Amino acid sequence: MRSTVDMTPAATVETPNVTDPSLYLRGIPHGCFAQLRAIDGLAWHPYEDGGFWAVTHHADVRFVSRNPELFSSAIGHTNLWDLEADALEARRSLIDTDAPDHTRLRRLVAGAFTPKNIRLWEETVRAITIDLLDEFVSQGGGDWVDMVAAPLPIQVILTMLGVPVEDADYLVELSNYLVEGTGDAQSIPPDAFGNTTELRLLPFNSPASHALFEYGEGMRQHRQDDLQDDLVSHLVQAQSEDEQMSRSEYRNMFHLLVFAGNETTRTAISHGAMALAASPGEWQRVLDDRSMINSAAEEILRWATPIMHMRRTVTTDTELAGTSIAKGDKVVMWYASANRDETVFEDPFRFDVSRANSDHFAFGGGGPHLCLGAFLARLELTVLLEEMAKRSLCLEQTSEPVRARSNFVHGVLSVGMQPRTSP
Amino acid sequence: MAGGELMRVVIDQELCIGGGICEMLEPEMFELDNDVVISSVVGDGLLPRERAEEVADRCPGRAIALVQEEI
Ligand code: HEM
Repeated sequence: MRSTVDMTPAATVETPNVTDPSLYLRGIPHGCFAQLRAIDGLAWHPYEDGGFWAVTHHADVRFVSRNPELFSSAIGHTNLWDLEADALEARRSLIDTDAPDHTRLRRLVAGAFTPKNIRLWEETVRAITIDLLDEFVSQGGGDWVDMVAAPLPIQVILTMLGVPVEDADYLVELSNYLVEGTGDAQSIPPDAFGNTTELRLLPFNSPASHALFEYGEGMRQHRQDDLQDDLVSHLVQAQSEDEQMSRSEYRNMFHLLVFAGNETTRTAISHGAMALAASPGEWQRVLDDRSMINSAAEEILRWATPIMHMRRTVTTDTELAGTSIAKGDKVVMWYASANRDETVFEDPFRFDVSRANSDHFAFGGGGPHLCLGAFLARLELTVLLEEMAKRSLCLEQTSEPVRARSNFVHGVLSVGMQPRTSP
Repeated sequence: MAGGELMRVVIDQELCIGGGICEMLEPEMFELDNDVVISSVVGDGLLPRERAEEVADRCPGRAIALVQEEI
């Protein structure tokens, strides 16, 4: 593909715009990303009154992810737009820190998410999955997002955190508003949920973040006098007794776990269902040979790429992919592109449940910020596929998906599905 | 794959970020400790060169080094 493009210096090539959120209402603009990948080196992409280096090749995403000394998460922001210093401080979570803060905060939660500790949740995940699938089948289908993709991950993360399951719907609602905040349209007024904080001080500029902070604060007070065996108690303990995290770090951690723990996995489950419905032959291969469930889950993750990019900021003048980049420049790692890199994935636009290469970047390109919840998300996906396979449950898509207006999350707001018991 | 050359994997525990990828790829060979969240090698740590390179390459912390085994 590269040979068909002339060798004009990367920075002056007419680059397709991949940041317009409305583009994503029709799905990831893969054609634009293919054009960007065809450029040797990095492409300069205008954005607002500045721009960023678009990192679209698998190898370059890996390099940026794994060299945090050169590519900072703490400077500016890890989303496209810069934040003012006070806003960044108010909104800073694990994801927007560098070592040593990152190391300290990550250690507080990492133990709960190791492969072994996550495996202890398998029965919980299975029980939730069985309930949801039974209901989906007995209703003869409906909105897959509402019935399965959204409730599964949120119920699981809320159980881990220790949040009462009755509050799941409320937190899903908040999470949906946060997703809007990643686009350019908010459907709720600035004072929704009794918010009085300036929106720029809230994650995703959303009043729903205020509500989530308040909820987390309520739980903190509750747990302070009554520690339980749950993740919130663990954080509260770290926050109050050991002073390992500040109050602001606590509420941002709570916010991050709720948001990251459900929005992304929901997206994977939604795109997974759409892919399986669109490729019944691929699902039949899994039904015939259940040992493909792991590779099918990895392929769903690659296919879905629920988080389409993360941004870093260059700490010293350096070179990336043969392009000189300067201190202070923004680099944006487009996982959506790296996961279709034709030099890494054979026939990347084919959904292949037995794909041998699972080196996708759905969870990021590695390095210290590698998704904390990766094994939890994998567990949820594999248990869901196992339970669907046990029922020989095949899916038929009954309506077009309504997609999130966002260049950041590859969200699906709704998509109709109907069960069939044989393909 | 000439002669099935073996490499020994070694973990630099200073670099390990506890991502658990090694344990996912080779569950018999790596073990991520649940408390300190650092991986270590269980057993002899020997893998065919190609697989060893893949495991090292996938390590998010670049913490896995390969040592040539004399046989
Ligand atoms: C399919 C599901 C998921 C996907 C695709 C996903 C994707 C990602 C990505 C791309 C990152 C950024 C990586 C980087 O900057 O290098 C990330 C970070 C993170 N994810 Fe996930 N995630 C998923 C599920 C979860 C779950 C279930 C949790 C549950 C707690 C979670 C918690 C986090 C946290 C806390 C971070 C920040 C880690 C850090 O900065 O150290 N994620 N995730």
